[in-house]
Amino acid sequence: MDIRIAGLALLISIILSGCNSNSESSDNGRITIVTTTGMIEDAVKNIVGDKADVQALMGPGVDPHLYKATQGDLQKLTGSDIIFYNGLHLEGKMGEVFEKLAFQKPVVAVANSISPARLRKVPEFNNNYDPHIWFDVKLWQEAVKEVNRYMQQYDSANASYYQQNASTYLKILDSLHSFVQKEISTIPETQRVLITAHDAFGYFGEAYDIKVMGLQGISTLSEYGLRDVANLVDYIKTNKIKAVFVETSVSNKAINAVVEGCQQSGYDVFIGGNLYSDAMGAKGSADGTYVGMVRANVKTIVSALK
Amino acid sequence: MSNDLQIILAGSFVATACGLLGCYLILRKMAMVGDAISHAVLPGIVLAFLFTGSRDSVTMVIGAGIIGVLTTFLIEFFHKKGKLQTDASIGVTFTWLFAIGVILISVFAGKVDLDQDCVLYGEIAYVPIDLWITDAGTVMGPRVLYISGTVLLIILVFIATGYKELFLTTFDPAYATAVGISTVLWHYLLMGAVSITTVASFESVGAILVVALLIAPPATAYLLTEDLFKMMVLTTIIGVLVSVSGYYLAVATDGSIAGAMATMAGLFFGLAFLFSPTEGYLVKKFRKEKAVMH
Repeated sequence: MDIRIAGLALLISIILSGCNSNSESSDNGRITIVTTTGMIEDAVKNIVGDKADVQALMGPGVDPHLYKATQGDLQKLTGSDIIFYNGLHLEGKMGEVFEKLAFQKPVVAVANSISPARLRKVPEFNNNYDPHIWFDVKLWQEAVKEVNRYMQQYDSANASYYQQNASTYLKILDSLHSFVQKEISTIPETQRVLITAHDAFGYFGEAYDIKVMGLQGISTLSEYGLRDVANLVDYIKTNKIKAVFVETSVSNKAINAVVEGCQQSGYDVFIGGNLYSDAMGAKGSADGTYVGMVRANVKTIVSALK
Repeated sequence: MSNDLQIILAGSFVATACGLLGCYLILRKMAMVGDAISHAVLPGIVLAFLFTGSRDSVTMVIGAGIIGVLTTFLIEFFHKKGKLQTDASIGVTFTWLFAIGVILISVFAGKVDLDQDCVLYGEIAYVPIDLWITDAGTVMGPRVLYISGTVLLIILVFIATGYKELFLTTFDPAYATAVGISTVLWHYLLMGAVSITTVASFESVGAILVVALLIAPPATAYLLTEDLFKMMVLTTIIGVLVSVSGYYLAVATDGSIAGAMATMAGLFFGLAFLFSPTEGYLVKKFRKEKAVMH
């Protein structure tokens, strides 16, 4: 049967044509680094300075839970010298791939160095932690230190350069931390409630003494119930909360339901603004860096609730 | 082996396994069963997590696999005992199971990131870097190639040994029963094969690609021939072509590989729809006009 022969010939030709392996590695001797989120990219850039090329897989406004890899992303991953990712299941199944890839090339989870005692455990489920560590600046400093430690080990010739950059950047983060503390404490205690659509701000709440309430759980599939909306509306009314917030990488629908619910029962709550949660602002803008993103969030929260 | 070849091979393995089973599904008017399974496995994932507290792939595949088989069982049960048409039976079963999954998440696991997208569905782009590493630390190569290759082998053996039985129970169930072949048994064997293949393939290359490969290549072949064996051969060739052309479309556009392969599958179907020598829309139209002119 000629169809079968044609099929076989086709298969063989594919196999033969694919056999010239194209192994590409770093060009012109510079170290190439790939990170998953923009926050990690920013941290790495601050440490490696001009010694390496750094790029993130997930751009501004991309929800890490919904990220889909392209053919080019695979090239970036295989062509890079080092991969930094968040860990704690932020990257979903991709994290599993990274764990195994670590047998073959330098792959580092920046959250791994943080002691479990400082992480928010998901109640009832052991070994499952809230991955949104960048909302607590002190915790994020641990991630920065991990990057610094690894870079010094990988490229020991430039160790002192990395150490110097890291010290400078950690100082900037120190002052960022006290900035957030100071700003949030100016909100009257009764108003210190951060209401958003999904549960990303847990670390922020714990670190800066602000109550955090979300409609949805962490999973994008955990739908909010009618009772959740009603409870939240009641809470807003009785505590006279001024504003609720939307997130740049999550749909506004859920939070709009709460705002409408409040209006129907005669209480006006307004939307305090857009918070950056799982992704930073556009590249090149002030909100496109980690420091800028945290500052923008704090500004939005304080001006809405004060 | 280069990265390109690994991805194309994984795509071809999955396309062949899914396509061969898809031939029977289309002829039995059950094509949407793959899509149904992709939704229905949600409670399996949640329950597997609730029992073990782990979100690793093996746990998730076991949970999803059990519910996948249950899904096909329920579809047949409602169809046979409730006198429902198969499409209605598929619709009732998977929406119900998916809804149970959503409720289970809301009640028990709202604080954990848990859905098919983040814990079960794989991504074909990661085939070259998703390695199988033994406990001793030996790197065995791309894990997905082993899994999809094994699944393909199982399906080939299954169809080769049961070809006559599957053929008869598909085309002439009454005659099959008369000569002593159990239609029920072969139906469940086929459905079991479908659930194992789809769940394993979801984990390897993602859901959309599997659903597309289960239907589009066999549907294309269906327009080109009326002989089951030729249909299966054509399906295999189309599946491989989809995998190769889809991969290079993704390279050219720097897009999602699964998306590009599914696009090519649709394109091949469109070509067969228009130009098939027997069933093609344009060919038929042209013939009609010719007949009028004579």
